Amino acid sequence: MSEEHEEHHTNYVKIWAILVVLLAISVAGPELEILWITLITAFGIAFVKAYIVVQKFMHLGDAPKFVTYVMVTCLVFMMLFIAGTASDIYKSNGENWYKIESEWQYMPPVAQHDEGHGAADEESH
Amino acid sequence: MAELIPTQPDPGHEDDHHHGEQSFVSKYLLSTDHKVIAMQYMFTGMAMALIGGFMAYAFRMQLAFPGMDVPFFGIVTPANYVALVTNHGAIMIFWVAMPVLIAAFGNYLIPLMVGCDDMVFPKINRLSYQVFLVSAIVLLSSFFVEGGGFGGAWTTYPPLSAKAEYNLTPLGSSLFIGAVGIEFIAFLLGGINFITTAMNSRAPGMKLYDIPMVIWMIVIASILFMVSVGPLLAGAIMLIFDQQLHTAFYDPNRGGDPVLWQHLFWFFGHPEVYVVLLPAVGITAEIITVFSRKKLFAYRTVLNTAIGTGVLSFCVWAHHQFISGIDPRMANVFTLTTLLISIPIAEMMFVYIATLYGGAIRLTTPMLWALAFIFEFLIGGVTGIFLGASGADIYMHDTYFVLAHFHYTFFPIAIIGTYAGVTYWFPKMFGKMMSDRLGKLHFWGTIIPFNFIFIPLFFLGAGGQHRRIYDFQNFPALAGEGMQDLRILATVSLVVMLGFQVVFFYNFIISLMRGEKAGKNPWKANTLEWTAESPPPHGNWKVLPTVYRGPYEYSVPGREKDYWPQDEPN
Repeated sequence: MSEEHEEHHTNYVKIWAILVVLLAISVAGPELEILWITLITAFGIAFVKAYIVVQKFMHLGDAPKFVTYVMVTCLVFMMLFIAGTASDIYKSNGENWYKIESEWQYMPPVAQHDEGHGAADEESH
Repeated sequence: MAELIPTQPDPGHEDDHHHGEQSFVSKYLLSTDHKVIAMQYMFTGMAMALIGGFMAYAFRMQLAFPGMDVPFFGIVTPANYVALVTNHGAIMIFWVAMPVLIAAFGNYLIPLMVGCDDMVFPKINRLSYQVFLVSAIVLLSSFFVEGGGFGGAWTTYPPLSAKAEYNLTPLGSSLFIGAVGIEFIAFLLGGINFITTAMNSRAPGMKLYDIPMVIWMIVIASILFMVSVGPLLAGAIMLIFDQQLHTAFYDPNRGGDPVLWQHLFWFFGHPEVYVVLLPAVGITAEIITVFSRKKLFAYRTVLNTAIGTGVLSFCVWAHHQFISGIDPRMANVFTLTTLLISIPIAEMMFVYIATLYGGAIRLTTPMLWALAFIFEFLIGGVTGIFLGASGADIYMHDTYFVLAHFHYTFFPIAIIGTYAGVTYWFPKMFGKMMSDRLGKLHFWGTIIPFNFIFIPLFFLGAGGQHRRIYDFQNFPALAGEGMQDLRILATVSLVVMLGFQVVFFYNFIISLMRGEKAGKNPWKANTLEWTAESPPPHGNWKVLPTVYRGPYEYSVPGREKDYWPQDEPN
């Protein structure tokens, strides 16, 4: 038991190092400002990191199979819910799914409307 | 998982084994016995049903005779009216259908039908009931706080539900949402137990396809509930924040989105329909096989269609929102999935009819209820097709047509299904037979007025009568003589139906006191619960049974008896 524990312990540091390297790549990648590199380095590496965290830190790899099934089921239902609601909650023609319509329709007109708007936009990214 | 069946009483169980020494409190109020907890759920559910029925009586009287001083209630004010309508809906679904069909029957039947001595987690089970009781008290207390009970419909759509200046119930609305949230915690605790017990504690020899259908249905329903409830709980917390802390999750003035609540609510709300439907379908399966002395026509088909219904039920939720401003492209998708879901349900109905075909049908009281379930639910299902099609729904939405439709689904589920189950398992629960004559009187006295309540409402709804309106006399187009007559017909039928429920309670009590003693197996059924004593003692069996075959081996050729209990070695 203790040996196993030892093994896990070394694993943690190694995994942490891998995650740090991946983080560096995902920060550096979008700096090149090439679309497909940004997509791969930002989202692709996020998936890899999430997989490693779930598998190693959360011990899904050692857990019984059905724990994985439960987790996958949850993800599927989450995706289903987002797929069903995205067209209402987000607008494809807005600014990157920022719900801009509600903003201009209901916001009380203020003097620095454009500036405030821009700031809110930045936040949402 | 044989180690989960304790052959020696564990420390937590030990004091339960000395029945004589137990006080009333530890035996009936703090028991961890699944049968006692089932009875607690059932009697709480019945008490809530009486409250919900009384609410229906009060607001139906107002609709038929506007401004009348309703006997036993008084004048129904507009605020009373909306609070009654709202709480009637919530009580009947969350505090009657759920506790009775899932929690009471699940608790009672799962250990007895899979052949183990109790639930896997008896203390979680007890906690589940206690949390449930708290939720019921919280809900009822909302009527006695400042501003009164919440009246923004059981679907609690914001902004009406989110702002006290709109709904005028600053505390009632939060207590309402809070009660629903607490209740869901109770059923999550219960659901863990149901799934684990049915999957891990089965009697030796009971394979997955030997599990009685009602147990499968309760397990599938529990899974549906557990998967769907998360978004609503999160949404409910956000709604309480909106109400009490003045956040703006659903406030369009401040960038919130009221349609988001509708998505969160119905993502739970539609699977919820199947959560309560499936156990009723399972109860019906047990009853029609016993009383037609036939094997269930297609066991695996019913099981697979139930799973298919469960999966599809997650893909249909926005059909409740066709006119709430959702993306019209999504309306196409949800119309398609909604019409698709009628296929597995229809398949189940066909299997039941095929089971009945050529059987030696005995029209006992439980069988009458089961047949009525099939027939009445069919009406509910068929009228759902009108509403599932987005084009027709634009006209029908929020009319009494919708109301009549879902009462034709929920009444068969919650009331007919419950009566079928109670009359069928009463001999096992209490060791006495119920009077068949009184049972039939109660049956016809319930079914006939039920149809006279809701068939008029289909016509009123198609005629344009909207829901949640206090007094139709204010709308000249809806206040005509003919329409008012239909309303009076519905109300009078309701009063007659509620009156006939006295027969049931009389039958219940008189059978408990003076009923004919039921043997172990009065219906000559196959499933394991009928091999235990009636009523089963704590621990259910002295020696836990072993299973040799499936649950529906009736009228097997070449056998002397027309039934073949699951635990009988060849």
